[in-house]
Parts: sequence; C-alpha cells; structure tokens
Amino acid sequence: MQKLVVIGAGMASGRVLENLFETDPQAYEVTLFNAEPRGNYNRIMLSPVLSGEKSFDEIVTHNEGWYAGYKVACRFGEKVVSIDRARKVVVGENGEAPYDKLIIATGSVPFIVPVEGRDLEGVITYRDLDDTNVMIEASATQGAKAVVIGGGLLGLEAAAGLRLRGMEVTVLHLSGHLMDRQLDEAAGYLLKRDLEKRGIAVMTKASTQKILGTERVEGVELADGTVLPADLVVMAVGIRPSAEIAKAAGLAVNRAIVVDAQLRTSDPDIYAVGECTEFNGMLFGLVAPLYDQAKVLAKVLMGEADSFAVKELSTKLKVTGCDLFSAGDFAAGEGREEIVLRDPSHGVYRRLVIENDRLVGAVMYGDTGDANWFFDLIRDGSSVAAMRDTLIFGQSYQGGSPLDPMAAVAALPDDAEICGCNGVCKSKITGTITAKGLTSLDEVRAHTKASSSCGTCTGLVEQLMALTLGASFNPQAVKPMCGCTDLGHADVRRLIVAKELKSIPEVMQELEWKTSCGCAKCRPALNYYLIADWPGEYRDDEQSRFINERVHANIQKDGTYSVVPRMWGGMTSASELRAIADVVDKFNIPSVKCTGGQRIDMLGVKKEDLPAVWADLNAAGMVSGAAYGKALRTVKTCVGTDWCRFGTQDSTGLGMRIEKFMWGSWTPAKVKMAVSGCPRNCAEATCKDVGVICTDAGYEIHFAGAAGLDIKGTEVLTQVRTEEEAIEMIVALVQLYREQGHYLERIYKWLRRVGMESIKAAVVEDAAKRRHYFDRFVKSQETAQRDPWADRATGGVASHEFKPMAEIGFKEAAE
Amino acid sequence: MSALAADIPTATFVEVTEVWVPKDGRLVWSSGNYGALDDFAAASEKQSFAKGEGLPGKAWEEARPVVLKGFDGSYFLRAEAARKAGLTSAVAMPIFAGSDLKAVVVVLCADDAVRTGAIEVWHEEAGVLMLDDGYYGAARHFEWVSQHTHFPRGQGLPGGVWAANAPMLMRDLGSGYRFIRADSAGKAGLTTGLGLPIAVPGGKTFVLTLLSARGTPIAHRFELWKTRSAGPDGAKEAVLTDGICQRQGPLWDDETETTVAAWQGPIGQVLGSGIPLVKFDSAAQTAGYASMVAVPIYRDGAVAHIVAWYY
Repeated sequence: MQKLVVIGAGMASGRVLENLFETDPQAYEVTLFNAEPRGNYNRIMLSPVLSGEKSFDEIVTHNEGWYAGYKVACRFGEKVVSIDRARKVVVGENGEAPYDKLIIATGSVPFIVPVEGRDLEGVITYRDLDDTNVMIEASATQGAKAVVIGGGLLGLEAAAGLRLRGMEVTVLHLSGHLMDRQLDEAAGYLLKRDLEKRGIAVMTKASTQKILGTERVEGVELADGTVLPADLVVMAVGIRPSAEIAKAAGLAVNRAIVVDAQLRTSDPDIYAVGECTEFNGMLFGLVAPLYDQAKVLAKVLMGEADSFAVKELSTKLKVTGCDLFSAGDFAAGEGREEIVLRDPSHGVYRRLVIENDRLVGAVMYGDTGDANWFFDLIRDGSSVAAMRDTLIFGQSYQGGSPLDPMAAVAALPDDAEICGCNGVCKSKITGTITAKGLTSLDEVRAHTKASSSCGTCTGLVEQLMALTLGASFNPQAVKPMCGCTDLGHADVRRLIVAKELKSIPEVMQELEWKTSCGCAKCRPALNYYLIADWPGEYRDDEQSRFINERVHANIQKDGTYSVVPRMWGGMTSASELRAIADVVDKFNIPSVKCTGGQRIDMLGVKKEDLPAVWADLNAAGMVSGAAYGKALRTVKTCVGTDWCRFGTQDSTGLGMRIEKFMWGSWTPAKVKMAVSGCPRNCAEATCKDVGVICTDAGYEIHFAGAAGLDIKGTEVLTQVRTEEEAIEMIVALVQLYREQGHYLERIYKWLRRVGMESIKAAVVEDAAKRRHYFDRFVKSQETAQRDPWADRATGGVASHEFKPMAEIGFKEAAE
Repeated sequence: MSALAADIPTATFVEVTEVWVPKDGRLVWSSGNYGALDDFAAASEKQSFAKGEGLPGKAWEEARPVVLKGFDGSYFLRAEAARKAGLTSAVAMPIFAGSDLKAVVVVLCADDAVRTGAIEVWHEEAGVLMLDDGYYGAARHFEWVSQHTHFPRGQGLPGGVWAANAPMLMRDLGSGYRFIRADSAGKAGLTTGLGLPIAVPGGKTFVLTLLSARGTPIAHRFELWKTRSAGPDGAKEAVLTDGICQRQGPLWDDETETTVAAWQGPIGQVLGSGIPLVKFDSAAQTAGYASMVAVPIYRDGAVAHIVAWYY
C-alpha cells in the first residue's frame, strides 16, 4: 500500500480524503498532520457557532470514528517542521513520516494589519475554533466592546455573531462601502443599513492608526484621530496563503504554491490543494473551488485523468436576515449595460450586468429568491435577449409570452397601498380618476392626496393613470436629472430633505435610481445637494466631483493646472506678491496672469507640484481662491472711499468682509460678486451673480446678472442702510439659492425659474425668514470654511490624487 | 445518532397544539393534535370563536400574541374541558398576511413540578424588547430572570429575531447566551431556542420564542425553511435553511439543498395554503415523531419562511 502523507486537516484535504476513500479505501495508508489539535471541521460554519446558531459538534466533518474507520494515522496538534524531498519524508515535531505521495494543504493565515499594538492581548484574528472561543469568552463580560477591523464576509459575520452574543460592536472598513469586493456601492449601503439596525456601528473609509493599550487592548485609534474603546479587536482583513513549508522545501512558490491543473507542484510526487495554492496566477479563498480541486486531486491520486478549471463563484453572507448575493463580473464597462431594480419600501436592490446579450454579473440585496436562477444564467452564458425586458423581475416572470412590465401594476389588488404617506390604495386612485374625470397628476394629487407628500409613489400613480386613461393620459413633462432617474432636480432636492436622505447610495436606493451608481451628471449634483442640505453630517464624496474640484485647481489643455490664491476683495500686498513670485520661480511656472476677478493666476503647474505650491502659498497666508469650484469665487471691488473722490462707502472693506465671511461655501454653480463704491460702478457689480452698488443712502443689493455665455444686467433685490444689513441680506439670498438652486443653475436662471416674488418674500420681506437663512449659512460655514489646499499640502488629504500613477502601491492580500 | 434516538424523552412541554382559521367572520377549527385528551379534542373541534371571543378571538381582535395563565374565571371558553384535561396555560399566536388574519395557532400546556421550558412573547417598548408574558412551567427562576431582562436590537435570540425579521434557531442556550439569562437558562436545562417574528397589522414588533429543555422538550426536531421562486408563472418552493433533530442530528447542509415544492408534504402544504398545519399519526409526514406543527412566517403579505417543530 502506498503511503500518503497530508499536511493540514482542513476542508480541502478532508474532501480529498473523502473522495479517495469513497473510490478505494485501501489505496493509500494515510498519515494526517494538523497544527490544530483536532481534525477536519466545516470552518466556514464557525460564524454560526460564534452567533450560537450552530454548535461546534454540528460542524465537525470528520470525527475520531471516521478517521479510525479509514485507519488514518492522525498527528493532530503536531506542526510539520520540514519536508525532506530527497528522502521523501515529512519531518514533524514528534518525528518523521515517509511518503510516496504528499499533499500540502496548509491553507492560509490571516493578514495582520501592521499597526502598533497588534500584539496586545485581546487582539485576535478570526480563523479557527480557538479564535471563536476567545470571542465567545470575551462576550461574557457585560457591556464589553468589540472592534472588528475589516468589513468583508468574515468580519461582518464576526460582528453579527458578537452582537448577538451581547457585545457593543463597531466595524471598521477601509473602503467606501462594505464587502467592496463582492458588492457594489448600492448593495453595500443596504448592508450597512441592515447591520446598523442590529445595533452594529459601521465606519467606512476608516483607517486604523494604532491599537491602544498597555498589556491588554483598550481601544483603537483611527487615522483621523477618532478613538474607539475596545475590549476585543478582531482583525478580519483578508488571508495570505501559507506556503512557507513548501518554499523551504524548494517547491515553486509564487504568491502561493504553484500547481498545475492536476494540483501537482513542481515536484511530481507532491500535490497541493486549497487556499495555499496558486493556479494560473489565481488564489483561492472560497470553498467551492477548493472542493473542485479536491475532487480532481482524488482522481489524480487514483490514476484517473481529470483537470481543475476555475468556475464562476457566488457570494452569500451567513448573517440571518441579511439576504445578499453576488456573482460574476458586475463592474461597469464599455459594451456593458445594466438593469437595476430598487424597491425602497422593502429594502430591495437588484442589478444585472449584461454584455453581448449575456448575463455576466448580478448583485442582489433584500430579495435573493432568484439568485440561483441568475447564477445559472451567468454560468450557462445563454442569451437573455428574449427576456431582456422582464429579466430583472426574476424567473417567475418568464412565462410563455413576454410580459409587459406594466402588468405588475395592473396585477396589484384593489386594496394595494400605493401612497404610503397618505394611505391611498389602488382602487381609490383608479376610482377617483374615473368618477371625476381626472387627467393630470396634479388633479389626482388634489382629489386623492396620492403622491402629494414624499412623492416616491409618483411613478406608480402615473402608471395607474396610464392604465385607467389609456392613450388619453399625457404625463407631465418633468425633465429628469439624467437617465438614471425619472425625477427632476426639484423633486430630488425636496425628497432629500423630506426623507432625510444623507448619502448618495441612500438617495439612489430610496428614490429608485435606475442605475447602480449614477452617472457623471447626477453624482456631482447629489453630492452638492447633500452637502448643502446636511452640513456637518454628510461627508463630501471626492469621487463625485469633477477633476477640477477634486484636485482644487483648474486643469489646462496640456494637462497642467492653474493655481489662483484668494485675494480678499482684490487687495494684495508686497509679501503676498513676493511669495507668488518665489513660487513661480521655484516651480518653474511658465505663465502668470491677472484675472478678471482681481486675482493672480499661475498657469502651467504640474499636478504633482500642486501640494508643494499650496504649502508655500499657505505659508504666506494665502488660501485657495476656489477658481475651479461651484462656489464663491471672487468679490471684486473698487477702491471706494479709501482713495476715490467719488466713493460713497468703503466698498473695498465691504467686499473683503463679504469674501471673508462667505469663502469656502459650495453653491449650485459658481458665484461671482462685486462691490462698487458709487453708481459709476467701476467694479462692474451690475453684471455679477450678486452685486452691491454703494450710494450715499446706503447699499443697493443687486443679483442675477450674467456676463458669460449670456449677458444680463442685474435685478435690484433691495436697498439697505448699513453694511451689517447688506451682509445679512446677501448671505440669506445666497443661502436661499444654495437650498433651491439646481446643480449648475446660475443665479440668474434660478431667479427666472422661481420668480422675484418668492425670493423677496423669503429674503427681503420677512426678517425672521431672512435670519433663518442667514443662520443656516453660518451653521454650514462651520464645516465648509476649511482651506482645501492646506488639507492637501500638509494634512495628507487625498494624497493619491497627486501621485504619478507608477508610484501607486499594491497591497498583497487575498481574501 | 442511535444513542440520541434511544434517549428521546416521552414527556413534552406542550400538550395540545391547534390551528383556527377564519370562516364567515368566525374562527373555526382547522387542525390540531390533542394526544390522549380526547374529550378536550371533542370539545374543541365543534367550537368556533367570534372576533374578541375566547383566546383565539382575543389574539385576532388585539392582533398580537396572547399568553393566558390560569383559565378559571378568564375569557377562555373551554375552561371546564381544559380543567378536566389538566391544561392550565395557553399561548395564542395570530398569523397575519398584511392586515388579513390567516389563522391563530394555540398551544396549551399542563403544569407540574418537572415540566420545564418556555414560551415567551416579547414586544418592543422604548427601543428594546421587553417580555410581554410567557409560560415557563417549572422554570420559575428563569421566568423571574426573563421578566427582568430586556433585549436591544440584535442581541440574544429575541433581539436577533427582531433585527433579522426572520426566524432563528439557537443552540446551547445555557452556554450560548453567557450573561444574557445564561446561568438561569443553563440551570433550567434549556438547550434549543426557536424565535419567530410575529407579523401583525400596524407595524408593532412581537417576537415569540420557544425554549426547549432536554428533559421535557417542546420538540425533538426543529426546521427552518425559506421560500423562493421556483420557476415561471410564480411557482414557489421552500428550501431548508437550518434544523436540528435528536435522531438525525443537524439537518442543514451547506452544499446540497433540500427543497419542497408548494403542496408537497406538510411544509409544501403550508407554503401552498399559507395556513399553519398540525399533523400527527403519519410517521412519513412527521419525520417519525408523533406530531408536527408547521407555521408560515409572513413578510410583506407573503409567506417568507416556514418553521416546523416535531414532537
């Protein structure tokens, strides 16, 4: 009988032995080493053991009786020291074991985040039963706090289990959304929301700086300075193949042990299986391919022909009540189209990615009932062209004849609630339409109240109108924001506030976006609306900004950038000019130009020089002029009473006060201002977004001018007597515009849309309202008035933006 | 698993399980298992309840699970028959699909010094789950501890069911809960816990738990099924997601799915009809045990899960 030695009693090697013994129990005399003091158990079911939903006994795959039955010599709890290939023996801690054939199944080791404090007691990884028991023990202390580093499959399962055990749990995840390898942003948002409903705190974009404590862990400090108290820290940030033994034995090892399609290593008598293997450059972390490997290896050991091939994989999370599924390749790309279905009331999101009439990827959250069917379609690669229109609804809708999507609405029972806000059912709407002869959405709103509150049922109501009225229904022409939604800017803005939506994925889910992640039109708009509506709460999403706002400089046609520091009210000084001159010399900036807004523009700055340029300008007291932003740009002034014989007021001083008060605020479109010291208007205030004309009697507040593609003189908003009144009026006006303006809508277009009457009513005629807007602006400035240049020059913010591509680091970690 | 089979106790915590369904404005008997309590069975099968009448009618009217301990002088209509049968307590669980009552499941228990277990109703109050009421048999200390315990969302069996809005089956209650009722659960011999979200109109949160003890188990076998689409034209099937059996051990299989189609066997019947079911005297349908109960768990008006217990 040939001698087979197996190093590692994990799931992969266990399955090899099962298959082998099933074919011929007498073929090999098996010796099985395992560093753990136990045999094979279903490691992926440790999460339910942690949560209490399984017992360890239930997940033991091979017990003592099984090993004894097949006469396996078990050397559990004994580490393998080396492999002597020349003598064909495995050297264990307690002695040698000769082999004819050897299987290396050493699996993987958890990746440890290389931070200070990682060796403290109470900092663990999540890999085996011992780790699980440590967690169960830690949860025994009432009020104990756990921090789980890593929001992937394993980390989230650990978090849910610990929470179920009674711990206060926080999950830290480096990326912008949970399970970013398996889910898109939209599904990641729903998962986060579900976990938060379980009392689990989730922090994304959270970078662990160090683990605090002296002997035992006491907390975790993040890169932004946040400190989280912790009695237990679980690192679940991925795994690394365990290939040291193989490497020391001189086998070919790349990122893992290199195997061929028969799982053979570079030594023909040595095989490897499981997470320690690398096949065609690929690593493995999920169980399905490991079982495929095991099946092939068992056959090969029996002298049969078979080859391992990589198949499509799917992902499921073992957290009861979190129904998610992903499979295939769901990245967006050229030639790919996506179909998205969202049901905000039930927390459902489905996204299918189609390429060449074939389903190539699927992400589902909330309702995964059709997951297997979609997975089969992905694996089969069969054409889905014939069911394209109803594919997203799942298998149930693939009857004999193509189904009209409107049928779903038609099939709703009469008592189905259409408008949740006002409790209006289908029959009430259709009945009223017929009885009253209603033909417009506004009429239906007036008579039934349906769609009159939050508006998310508007689409359904319109479909009911179409069903009831047939061809005579002419839906209102609301211009959608973009192809991702049927809602216009006004509805989106209103619903963000009404439904308290505070992130882009939340807006997209709750307002039923038709795409998974939006587009270049809607993302910047949503980012602005959220910044404007939830100051201090919403975190600016840099990736939803165009390049100029992302790097805080204007890109030029040759790929270099222009840099414009702020000059308050157009005033400067010798030291500022000297600093600018030094910067120009130091960084070989080819052009320097005066702008129309009374500032200095340095043109031709290399992207990688930007932080250093800003650092030097900051050192001279200058901040970003926001010349690239949908934000307050300039406040142009004349010299006013300081120098001018005709000046009536301190126009320069007022301009500087306004600029210093309002800089940093984001607006729907750029905002340019000017203050002229007399009606001669040297600062050209009457063609600006906001202008002030000083008079002997005080200040005339103008707005809604334009001097670009459109030429338009300003409108007079009002007249005030003091600088304080002027500032309050201007700030309230801009805040109203910030709250009502559509993204990229300049002030003069906003005025045209909403009318002078409504603006005056809010800003001029009602002092309380004016103060209200003023206060909201002030509140917003608490977080907005930060110099983005300083953050990037010395604060390390968004440093990746300014690195040449070749220097981007690559972290070697597999999950 | 033969050792387990030999160890199956005969005394169970629940004496009677019955299902009442609405018909012509009243609740009428649909199915039930009364064991040897023939007289009580006879009294029950001819009974019906108006809304608000008796225990099933009260669960219907109040749209919430109801625990009743002590029948004499109560609204329990079959008090005399129950007294003769030795039954002392009952729990009624309404099954709603949206606002429509589909059925009321009633379990009745008998008190003695040894029967231990728990049937608990938890409700949300001020952001945590508080004990509404429960029947614990002889587990008096555990009853007291439970009355003084609350569960935040996501914690423990009730909090986990609440957060997941799905049934859960917990093992090793004595060691599993640790500080949450753990010591007391361990001392009471409680082993397996089944938690069910009870959907009621109006959006109130109720969780019902069945905690089984080794000596006088509520059941010897528990199964959790999840429903999903199974083909064109709206066909449905249920897939076994978790389960444990004293004879067969774990029933779950993370590689091979066990499924049943609508109307196939008792689980399929519940899937097809949407109405709870009590089966007995049919070993093939009760996994070799004397009786089984299968209950649909509704979500958004449709059957999302089916839970079954066998005893």
